[in-house]
Amino acid sequence: MRRAHLLGLGFLSPALVIIVMLFLVPVLLTVMFSFTNMSTATGISGGAYEINSASLRKLADAGAQESFLDALGQEAFVVDDAGITAVAAAYGEQFANEIGSQMLGERFTSRRDLERAFRKLKSRPRSTRDIKKAADLFKRSVLNVRFETADGLVGAVTGNGIAMTPDQQELLTRTIYTGWSWTTDNFALMTQIPYIWRVAGNTVMYVVLTLSVSVGLGLFLAITTFYLPSLPAASFRAIWFLPRILPNVIFVLMWKWLAWDTGFISSFLANFGVAPRNWMLDTDIHAWVFIVLINGMVGASLGMILFGSAIKAIPQPMLYASEVDGASRWQQIRYIILPQLRWPIMFICAYSTLSLMTSFEYILLSTDGGPGGATEVWSLMAFHTALDNYAGNLQYGLGAAMALVLVIVGILASLVYLRIFNFNDLVAKPRIEQ
Amino acid sequence: MRISIENFTKSFGDTTVIEDMSLEIGDGEMLALLGPSGCGKSTTLFAICGIHRMNAGRLLFGDADVTEVSSQKRNVGVVFQNYALYPHMNVYENIAFPLKVRKESRAEIDRKVQEIAGLVHIGELLRRRPMQLSGGQQQRVALARALIRKPDILLLDEPLANLDAKLRLEMRSEIRRIQLATGITAVLVTHDQVEAMSMCDRIALMDKGRIVQLSTPKDMYENPSSDFVAGFLGNPPIAFLEGAAANGGFRLANSQVTLPVPSGIDMPGEGAPMRFGVRPEFFQPDNPLKVSGKVSFVETQGREELYDVTLENGAVLRSIQSQSAGFRLGEEVSWGIAQDRILAFGPDGNRL
Ligand SMILES: Nc1ncnc2c1ncn2[C@@H]1O[C@H](COP(=O)(O)OP(=O)(O)O)[C@@H](O)[C@H]1O
Ligand SMILES: [Mg+2]
Repeated sequence: MRRAHLLGLGFLSPALVIIVMLFLVPVLLTVMFSFTNMSTATGISGGAYEINSASLRKLADAGAQESFLDALGQEAFVVDDAGITAVAAAYGEQFANEIGSQMLGERFTSRRDLERAFRKLKSRPRSTRDIKKAADLFKRSVLNVRFETADGLVGAVTGNGIAMTPDQQELLTRTIYTGWSWTTDNFALMTQIPYIWRVAGNTVMYVVLTLSVSVGLGLFLAITTFYLPSLPAASFRAIWFLPRILPNVIFVLMWKWLAWDTGFISSFLANFGVAPRNWMLDTDIHAWVFIVLINGMVGASLGMILFGSAIKAIPQPMLYASEVDGASRWQQIRYIILPQLRWPIMFICAYSTLSLMTSFEYILLSTDGGPGGATEVWSLMAFHTALDNYAGNLQYGLGAAMALVLVIVGILASLVYLRIFNFNDLVAKPRIEQ
Repeated sequence: MRISIENFTKSFGDTTVIEDMSLEIGDGEMLALLGPSGCGKSTTLFAICGIHRMNAGRLLFGDADVTEVSSQKRNVGVVFQNYALYPHMNVYENIAFPLKVRKESRAEIDRKVQEIAGLVHIGELLRRRPMQLSGGQQQRVALARALIRKPDILLLDEPLANLDAKLRLEMRSEIRRIQLATGITAVLVTHDQVEAMSMCDRIALMDKGRIVQLSTPKDMYENPSSDFVAGFLGNPPIAFLEGAAANGGFRLANSQVTLPVPSGIDMPGEGAPMRFGVRPEFFQPDNPLKVSGKVSFVETQGREELYDVTLENGAVLRSIQSQSAGFRLGEEVSWGIAQDRILAFGPDGNRL
């Protein structure tokens, strides 16, 4: 590698750090999350192993044999050191030693069996009640005990005398784990969501309609302001740029105010005897009109600025030439101005498709996907699934998988756009010879 | 087609660029608008083709008043200074554009494009984009585009300014050839007097938004109406001698030398300042009216040699002579002025 290359890399390194931190890491995290089953229930840190009635039900659902479940559920009496120590404390060393020397390691399925065994010992307590109590000190169960590790759980279960096949052991540790785990199920789960295709369709519709409005309106504004005298043009442009610089919330709030049942449209139409209603949310079509207009206006103001400056960059004599060549205004726009705007238009299309696909803030603020999911788009669905769920169980893993789909579609779309843009043409060779 | 500009005034905001200009251009004539940069040549041209509105005055094409006609309807072909070719169209589409916007049939367009491409010799370049052409080729394309719809008038704004010297020479005769071949009325804007003189039937010399002289190249060269005109035309340029009227003659400034004045001029009053203009070709060793000085500059131009002679009072006269003369720098010479070729100018700069 030449020194010049290293120098270039050196200059680039801050940018590279930013790219890695801000672009690459989030994508990698999305990929990582989407292959987990993280949710509110699992938490995002580790979990534990505990056999309880709920986990037994889960095991049954996962197909564990009846006998295995029964064994897990049953209590047993095991003569172990812990029990002997407890006995020593309650009933004296002598009895404890006797149990230890004669019965250590023995296992009984019921208390009565253990009591019967105790009665054969010499140093046993006198009363039946004490014997019962001493026997209870050896009661062992894996139910409702928290184990931090799978090994701990397995040790306890086998220590309880419950024999497990390797399959059963695997099923047990996998099913009753309360933390998150790696899985590829999210993508299959996604296809089973009943409204998923509707959301996909909404997304396509949202991108296409919004893009058309913003490019069309942006072009219209850029061209009309180009032909206006400079002062009105400048004020016009400033007004149209407002949506860009207004905080999203304020901007959407103004639309809501327009559409509320006590808002402008309702008040105005009340004069003609139309009953007031929420014009934004009363029908699917209305909701869509508002969504497309709100997003389209924001896109149009960017388009207007971009197209406007591109038109200004057209050399004046070229426009003069087209006029003396006999081109009408319309022909001038059609044959001279629009062809020169080819790159800016393509750029806006590419840029907006990608950004529209992933951005949902205006929808969230205005309809929140409503009415009844009519305006729910993919990114909003991912957000709802992962971070803002009415049911309360936030499914981070599933949400991340949804987002990952968007990332993949975005990357594919970028590749297509790069082809269309003919990247090599666009990126001129460096002027300095290497 | 005859062009009449009557009392044309043009201002941009507060600055008046052209004031009360009148100009008549005959049918089939090629007229040069000549003048220093910024004198309003392009402005005048843009007014003729309708890009600029006139603030006052009238414009007639033939007998028709076109003052209020839009540029699209004037049927004027224009070659812009930087050619203003459309970069997103190839040469063919560029040339065809004026016909395309008139919605002529494909076959008709094709026929005309081929014909005009032949006329300007670019037949083999039709598929190229303007960026892939040399300056001279772009120039021909611009010319073809201006000519394709057989305009009544052809306007050329400094068409040769961006070309190298050799190509400029070539295109000079080329444009004139095409203008003569088509018989079109043409206006050539240029700041180059050689271009104006060699290509045009008449020259309108402009200064600060006014036409200071309008005549044929030869007449303008020989009979300039003012010292500005005399100084603008001619290469190498004319030399001026400052002085004053004295005893019916011309007394050089800071000198006792008095020169006789050309016959038939109105002398200003005694002592009034005057200028003599002497062209290099009329200051030669064998002319009778001798002045002496020292050769202060020698420039070899190949076939000829150019000398500057500094007179005793510090004034400089220029002489152009054939190569064989061979005078040296610093040599004392006594050369003569052709008396009847002296151009005498009064205090206001006008010709006497
Ligand atoms: N659009 C314009 N706005 C303001 N001033 C202009 C404009 N066009 C030309 N001018 C001024 O008018 C004068 C004449 O310009 P122009 O006709 O282009 O000169 P030239 O003789 O070099 O072609 C110049 O001083 C120029 O600055
Ligand atoms: Mg000019």
